[in-house]
Amino acid sequence: MAVTQAVQPSRLRAQLGRVLPVAVTALVILGAWQLAVIVFDVPSFILPTPTAILSAFAGQFTTIMSASRITVEAVLLGLLMGVAWGVVVALVLSRFPSMSGPVLTVAVIINCAPIVALAPIFNNWFGVTSLVSKAGVAAVMVFFPVLVNTTRGLLQVSPLHLELMQSLAAKPRHVALMLRLPNALPFLFNALKLGSTLAVIGVIVTEYFGGPSNALGVYIASQASLPRFDYAWAGILVASVLGLAMFGVVSLLERLLMPWHSSLHDENP
Amino acid sequence: MTEPAIISVRGVNKEFNSGGKRSVTALQNIDLTIERGEFVSLLGPSGCGKSTLLRVLADLTEPTSGTVTLNGKTPRAARSDRDYGMVFQQAGLFDWRSVQRNVELPLQVAGADKPTRRAKAQEMLELVRLSEFAKHFPWQLSGGMQQRVAIARALSADPAILFMDEPLGALDEMNRERLQGELLRIWADTRTTVVFVTHSISEAVFLSSRIVVMSARPGRIAASIDVDLPYPRTSATRTTEAFFAKVTEARTALHSELAEQAA
Repeated sequence: MAVTQAVQPSRLRAQLGRVLPVAVTALVILGAWQLAVIVFDVPSFILPTPTAILSAFAGQFTTIMSASRITVEAVLLGLLMGVAWGVVVALVLSRFPSMSGPVLTVAVIINCAPIVALAPIFNNWFGVTSLVSKAGVAAVMVFFPVLVNTTRGLLQVSPLHLELMQSLAAKPRHVALMLRLPNALPFLFNALKLGSTLAVIGVIVTEYFGGPSNALGVYIASQASLPRFDYAWAGILVASVLGLAMFGVVSLLERLLMPWHSSLHDENP
Repeated sequence: MTEPAIISVRGVNKEFNSGGKRSVTALQNIDLTIERGEFVSLLGPSGCGKSTLLRVLADLTEPTSGTVTLNGKTPRAARSDRDYGMVFQQAGLFDWRSVQRNVELPLQVAGADKPTRRAKAQEMLELVRLSEFAKHFPWQLSGGMQQRVAIARALSADPAILFMDEPLGALDEMNRERLQGELLRIWADTRTTVVFVTHSISEAVFLSSRIVVMSARPGRIAASIDVDLPYPRTSATRTTEAFFAKVTEARTALHSELAEQAA
């Protein structure tokens, strides 16, 4: 215990040492933005100042927040569907290692396609105002990284661990539950971090092509066409925060669920 | 009537790529009998097939010909009954399990209930003197401590035999000697039969009741040396005349084999 306490202040300092430069950099960029707009007299329809965006956000708070709620629902639904399908297919695929190579290659190739370009198609299939068309695009975008990563995690098991399980006369179900699944968890979380931001992109962009009148993407697109760019920027700001928040929640879950994982602790306890 | 040997190897050959162009004879005509309670080291240079022999005993690979009997059964049956525990050169702990749950693994695979697993794992951690680290995770332990957890894990299902494949090879000299002492104490406490693969002469002499010297290409048994130094052996044992004499004897057996090959 004494050791932990002795370590605590220096760890705090280390964390501060990481956060501080990031905060300073962000402030410098925002300051430069603000200054550039004022000094060069940039018209606000080209680029409003950060403070103008903030005040637009404050003025539109209720509208933007209610729009965000619908968008968040679509993001969560899409993420959930993409992860569920990705994990299920990965589980099936890992039972047939000889098949997994070709299938993963195809998955990687498909994943290189701009899946978000499917947005109008999905709107056409499931209805412009439907939640499913937004969540569907997000789900497809999330599906591929989850599939590829999880399958790798299930298959890339240490030969030593496999031999250990063999020496214990472990049955396939023991190997799956006690070795392959926990081994795949860090891989899955990497995919989740990627997927959580992809889902936000998928939903917002699909909403650009039409959606329920009070969705965030619809709001941004319509404010931009009015044109009320400060409002559009306020919407973009919220969309960015949403992506960040999703990433943060997944990272937090990762810390809670995998306290053992090597990427999460410093080289020394 | 004498008790039947716990391990009996008769005419075992092991060829890799058998019949192919690059076929390699890893083991040639191995005969070996190990009695219950012995501590036998398989000593030899790299490539002499000592690890292969251990893997044949453990049913992790099959011999090309010959028979192996383990605890009166085929190796396959012995493995299914968890008659042996195995320690590898790397501890091979599961990162995602606490020390306690790592030690429980063999019992969990065997289908033991939770209270039994708990109790047995705690007993094993006491045996390797790591009780206070039960809730730690592997990354929080040193290499030597991880290897002690691996030993506790290998012994948790009360196997009759303990197979060890260069278990101390990845440790530094200090830790290595300390763990050798620990291992002898554990062996004395559990009376498990140990088959220990090593390429260190002094390690083999210090630990073993018998050393089986192997030679390479093809791997076969060159000599069997009884180490009649009295147990318990301590670090003082390492400085005795008798210890040096045995080290010399083992070295001579090893080197005469090497010289024969060179000739």
